[in-house]
Amino acid sequence: MNFKEKLNKGKFVVTVEITPPRGPDPLKLIEKIKELRNLVDAVNFTDNPSAKLRMCSMAACKLSLDLGLEPVLQITCRDRNRIAIQSDLLGAHALGIRNLLLMTGDHPIVGDHKEAKAVYDIDSSILIKVVKGLNEGIDINGNKLNGKTEFFFGAVVNPSAIPLMPQLKRFEQKLKMGAEFFQTQMIFDIEKFESFIDYTKMFDSIKIIAGIVIIKSRKMLNYLANKVSGVIVPDWLVDKIKRFSKDEDIEKFGFEFAVELIQKIRQKALCSGIHIMATRNIEDIKNLLSLIKN
Amino acid sequence: MIVSKRKPLKELENLIRNYESFFLVGCAECATLCGSGDDEALLSIKEWITKSGKTVTGWFTPKVGCQILGTKRQINQYKESLNQAQCILVLSCGAGAQTITELFEDKPVIPVNDTLFIGNMRRFREFEERCRACGECLLGITNICVITLCPKSMLNGPCGGYKNGKCEVNPELRCVWIVAYEILEKRKLLEKFYENLHGPKDWSKSNSPRALRIEGKD
Repeated sequence: MNFKEKLNKGKFVVTVEITPPRGPDPLKLIEKIKELRNLVDAVNFTDNPSAKLRMCSMAACKLSLDLGLEPVLQITCRDRNRIAIQSDLLGAHALGIRNLLLMTGDHPIVGDHKEAKAVYDIDSSILIKVVKGLNEGIDINGNKLNGKTEFFFGAVVNPSAIPLMPQLKRFEQKLKMGAEFFQTQMIFDIEKFESFIDYTKMFDSIKIIAGIVIIKSRKMLNYLANKVSGVIVPDWLVDKIKRFSKDEDIEKFGFEFAVELIQKIRQKALCSGIHIMATRNIEDIKNLLSLIKN
Repeated sequence: MIVSKRKPLKELENLIRNYESFFLVGCAECATLCGSGDDEALLSIKEWITKSGKTVTGWFTPKVGCQILGTKRQINQYKESLNQAQCILVLSCGAGAQTITELFEDKPVIPVNDTLFIGNMRRFREFEERCRACGECLLGITNICVITLCPKSMLNGPCGGYKNGKCEVNPELRCVWIVAYEILEKRKLLEKFYENLHGPKDWSKSNSPRALRIEGKD
């Protein structure tokens, strides 16, 4: 079964977010892919996350595909206009890439090329519509293509956004445009996530994959809270982490916290799977997955 | 108005390095409101130049620096001091500077200011960008320009980057889509707004260079 079939048949999926390397050398990436191969259902390759230069997601997806791990191509509107995005999508399809995660993308000003021209010719909602069109064999202007793509395309949502309503309206809009699954921003508050899930029940057979992060250190949590766009870390969690004196205690707590979240999600059958984010170390993913098996 | 600001003196120093005598041109419109092309600005540049041992042969402030023919008529009376100058320094926006370049093809023209944006003045010399001259005004939808005020020019609501209602790009500012959302909500237009997807925007309407010639009435 592929990722799409697993989601549609109701299997609880595990995806992981991997950032392609900062440079031309793919060896470590290949090692990571090999290790993840039998651990997860699909791997998302990010598109220059936080607007910091990385190898392109499409190349990482192709490497992964060749190694037998199903990729999710993340594509943002930050660096490419509508011509380039459609062209990349057609190329990705020719390479065998089928899963997409479509988003607007962090602004260059938060990244390591602050002087770059921000493109944003279209936004994520329009991009979703564009992909739906490609699947019907037409481009953004309605011109016929020489075939239809078969993309399985998802979008992102942040159930912890403050204020929440404008974010939910975007979510509904993305759903209306045809998004087939959603991967959420990192979840720290199970209550907030539950109330989001309650709200989504008004829509039919919606596929939501919850963003999970393993907190490894105080520094990492502070980075997520202050430097990563859209991530909302609740104050009580920051306070809790402050109380630990040793790094290994934070790491232990980080694993327990992630495990507890996942167990609650599974027990209550809240959503279709989990998406492990912001983790560099494959060992951590292995540990987390072995902990939730028990 | 067109908001402009004097270049850093270091950059100007480099630009005028090879010249000894200058004629200064200001502008009585936007650049005067911005304090980048008024009498005070002209005098301060004059002082800075003379301090470095160079000469200012004269100065002049056109009524509307971006009016080519009007400025041509007005500047004629300064012919003599213009002839004495090796170089003309213009204290206006880029449009005003190019009026002068067009009128004096044989003399180097150097802009003293950087042109920043089309904006409004809130208080004295406090300016805010409001319009990107995109060629297709969408203000009718939200009444605040999301093309200009959203750094991603989002057309369909906020991106996922805002935190506590603040913009990802400038956390000092409220996300303009949160503001727009509140406007739509107050006017009970939210549901209608979300009935359809907006865009993709026709950016060909802002392909440069643009020109406009109005002939007769519609």
